[in-house]
Order: sequence, then structure tokens, then C-alpha cells
Amino acid sequence: MNSTVFALTLRQFAGQRRSLVMFVLALAPIALAIVYRLGDHLDQPDWTVNVLLNGIVVTTVLPLACLILGTSAIGSEIEEGTAIFILTKPVPRRDTIGAKFAASTLVAALFVLPATAVSGLIALWGAPGEGIVTGFTIAALFGVLAYTAVFILLSVATSRALLFGLGYVFIWEGLVTELFSGTRYLSVRQYCLGIADLFATVSERDFDANLGGPEALILASAVTAATLVLAVRRFEAFEITDTD
Amino acid sequence: MTDVSQDRAIVPPSRGPAVEVVNVSRWYGNVVAVNDVSFSLDPGITGLLGPNGAGKSTILHIAAGLLRPSKGTVRIGGRPVWGNQAIYWDVGLVPDKETIYPFLTGYQFVLLSAKLYGLDDPAEAAHRAIQAVDMEGAQDRRVGGYSKGMKQRVKVAAAIVHEPRILLLDEPFNGTDPAHRLQLMDFLRRMAGEGRTIVFSSHILDEVERLAENVLVIVAGRLAASGDFHAIRRLMTDRPHTFTIRSSHDRRLAIALVADQSVLSVDLSDERLTVRTSQFSDFVRAAPRIARNEGITLQELVPTDESLESVFSYLVRR
Repeated sequence: MNSTVFALTLRQFAGQRRSLVMFVLALAPIALAIVYRLGDHLDQPDWTVNVLLNGIVVTTVLPLACLILGTSAIGSEIEEGTAIFILTKPVPRRDTIGAKFAASTLVAALFVLPATAVSGLIALWGAPGEGIVTGFTIAALFGVLAYTAVFILLSVATSRALLFGLGYVFIWEGLVTELFSGTRYLSVRQYCLGIADLFATVSERDFDANLGGPEALILASAVTAATLVLAVRRFEAFEITDTD
Repeated sequence: MTDVSQDRAIVPPSRGPAVEVVNVSRWYGNVVAVNDVSFSLDPGITGLLGPNGAGKSTILHIAAGLLRPSKGTVRIGGRPVWGNQAIYWDVGLVPDKETIYPFLTGYQFVLLSAKLYGLDDPAEAAHRAIQAVDMEGAQDRRVGGYSKGMKQRVKVAAAIVHEPRILLLDEPFNGTDPAHRLQLMDFLRRMAGEGRTIVFSSHILDEVERLAENVLVIVAGRLAASGDFHAIRRLMTDRPHTFTIRSSHDRRLAIALVADQSVLSVDLSDERLTVRTSQFSDFVRAAPRIARNEGITLQELVPTDESLESVFSYLVRR
């Protein structure tokens, strides 16, 4: 990983309007948990797991945050032309990908993990948590790593990474993997639920993971590593084709 | 974290011509952008001249390792360019595009470049490069607020911060005001004087004439001419030219002109006299003299189709 590219990427994130969207995404589950607590909060574990942490955090906030950061880390450089500046330096391209990945995961984790933990704690306040918050926070960390790697790969593979990413999040992760259980091996969302299940010991009625915990951990790690290797390979063969 | 400066020590010393392009072609689907181009360059200034869309940027991008040639090879200092990040120790690229981070100041931008090159003293190198392009006064302002000419100069500073042996510049004078254009030209001459290889692209003949000792003329992706600028200039000047003439007696003038050595053909139709010549200067001197000797008043003598594109097309047809 190249420390200069890492610092540059963090600065790019700070200066983008996308960081405002990140704040909104992070605050949404916390706001929802507060609203829930203000009403009749019956069956807290069930609501916290199925509506808040699974339905809102893992299915929406987590992938969207990673999509925004993962695709803009390199994608915006390619789009704005600054990629030429980085590509014509004697920095191995794997180090550039490493730095972009590290910066994106760091920022995504800074937004998503507190949002997961804080919203979960608010929603479960006074009720037996049984490791739900811990489980989903750890799952969100693995989700950040896997989703960010996937979206970085997308951004070096296509100029329409954001569009394809949105399709992937809402159609594949949100719909297809919900309808067909056989697709659970190819779903970062399912990996997250499986990992959360390792730590959260709630009844099956409250929380139904399609993958076993160890299986999910291995798959999430393998997908992260494999997509990063592919992203490096793709970036090593990357060409600037926008010339006269 | 990778320390880039460590890698520099393992780069083997470069051999062969500074830049060597061998039978390079590049196509996108059915479209051929660069067609079997070969040349080699040694220290000095070379102008890559051609009309817009001729393939100059594509050639520079291939030479800079940003594009893989569909066919052929490019070597810098004897080392293949494609997929070889180590060549950037020797190469600086100033792209035509705005490859700048608008949120950085000019100094920060050049410093960033120095750090990415892993220089021992990036701050000192950045100061030196900014001084070289006369940007000290604006170095603490954000690049996003710079004029196009200032952006161009700060891009040059970022490209020379590691004092490369080879500098590739894509349309470097675009947007620069006349004073800074001259300054940049002087600067490039100084760099060439230090034994560096400078290659710049331009579609403006005058820029190339003033700066380049060696010229590569690119038309429709092909190398139309290469070599000493003055020889190519002569070739351009001595090509067949067409003039339209209006006079007090076109028919008599046509008879007189056709006898002159400099005239290839005359055509008198639609009340207009058209003359083709292969000797531009001789004809321009001879035509008024012949008219005067015949007692004819020359009202108009206009060269037609003098666009750079037509000059380049002629070179390609040869």
C-alpha cells in the first residue's frame, strides 16, 4: 500500500459531496432506532434484528456506503482524468489499489460500524441483546471489506460502476438472494448474516441466517481477497483510451 | 506502506535510444488510430505535429505506457514501456487533460508528485520545480482556481519534479498566454540543452517551427514525414499550390504565365484564372512581374486551400 495515495484518497473523500450522503446514511438507522424507542417498542430483539440491522443496515446502509466510497476511490479519478497522474508514477499498481481499498474501508467502517452499534444499542436498550449488536457490528466490518473490494473491482472494470453497483445491491442482494436460497454462497449480505449469527444467540424466529458462521467467515474473506486480486490484475492492464 | 525510493535502486541503467517506437499500431475495434508508426528519438526537442484527431495523443499515451499497442513495441532507454512502472523514473508526462486535484494548492500538487516519485527531499524538489515554471507567486493558491495557463505550468512542474531524462508533453502550449509560452519554450530548450529528450505534440506549425529541431508529422494515424524541421518545411512549401487570379485581362495573363518555369498548369473557366505551381516563392515573385511586362493589372492573387490539414494530406500522399 502506498501511504501518499492513501492520504490523497482520504482527502478526496473529505472534499466530496458524497461525504454528506455518507452522514445521512449513517444517521438513518440511528434516527430510526430513536423513533422506534419513542413508540410502543414490543419484541425489541425481533425488530432490531429483522427490521433495523438486517433490513436497514446490512441490506441498505452497508452496501450503499461501500458503493459510494468503493466506486469513487478510483472511479472518480478515472472519470476526472486524474488517474493519469497516478498511473504515470513509479508506484506499483497493486500498491495503488491497496491504498484505495484501505482508505475506502477505513472511511466506510468509520460511518457504518458506529451506526450499526449505536442504532442497535438504542433499539435494544433494556432488553436482552444476546450478542446481537456485537454480532452485527463484526458482520458489518466483514461486509465493509467484501463490498468495498467488489466495488473497487467494478470501478476498474467498467465506467458505469455506480449503475452496475446499484443494480447489484438492489436486484441481486436485495431481491434475488432473498428469493433463491441457492444464491446464498454468492451474497455478501448472506455472509454478513451468517457472521452475525456466530455471535448473536437469538431464536431462529428472530434471526434466520442461510449460511453457517464459519462458512460465512471463510466465504467473506475469500471473496474479499479474490476480488482484490482481480482488481489489481485489471488495474495493471488498465488503459487510458480517451485520446484523439 | 511501500517506500517507493527503495525501488529506484533496482532499476537497471537504461540503454539504447531514449525513445524507440517500432511498428506500432493501435486500433479500437475497426478504427485504426495509429498505423504502423516507427521512429527513435535521442536527446533534443522533437515536435509531434499533426491536425486534431491525427493520433498524436494516442502515440504519446502509448509512449508513456498508458495505452498498450495493438501491434509493435515501445522502449524507453532500451526497456519495454507497457506494464513497466519503473520507466517513470526516467519519464515525465504532461497530459493535455486537466489531471489536477482542484482541492490542492499548486505547491501541494507538485509535492504530491515528488512524494509519489519517492524523492529523498520532496519539499526541496517541489520548490525547485515550481521555481522552474515561475509559479512561486501562486503556489499557495488552490489549483482549482488557476487559469488554464497556470494549470498547464503546474502540471509541467509536477512532471519535472524528479528531473526526468525524457519529458512527454501533450499540447503543452494550449491556453498559455504569449509571455508564458515563450518562457515555457525557453525552459524546454534549457532542459534539452541538459541532454534530455523532449517530445511535445502540437497542431500549430508555428509552435513546432520555433521549438523543435526534429519533427514527426502525424496524419490520420500514420507517420507522414519525419526529420529536420526545415527540410519538412521546404517540402510543405514546395508542394503544388493553387492560386486563383483576377486581372484586367485573364486570358492574356494565362498565356504569359504558362510559359513560366514555376507554373505547372493554368485553367481558365467560369471567368476565373486558376494556376497550379510547384514553386510557391518563385511563382509569387514571378506573377506580378509577368503581369507588369504584359501591361496587365493584377487585381487579386489568392492561394487556395492553405489549411494545415491540406498540407498534411499532401505529405501523406507523397
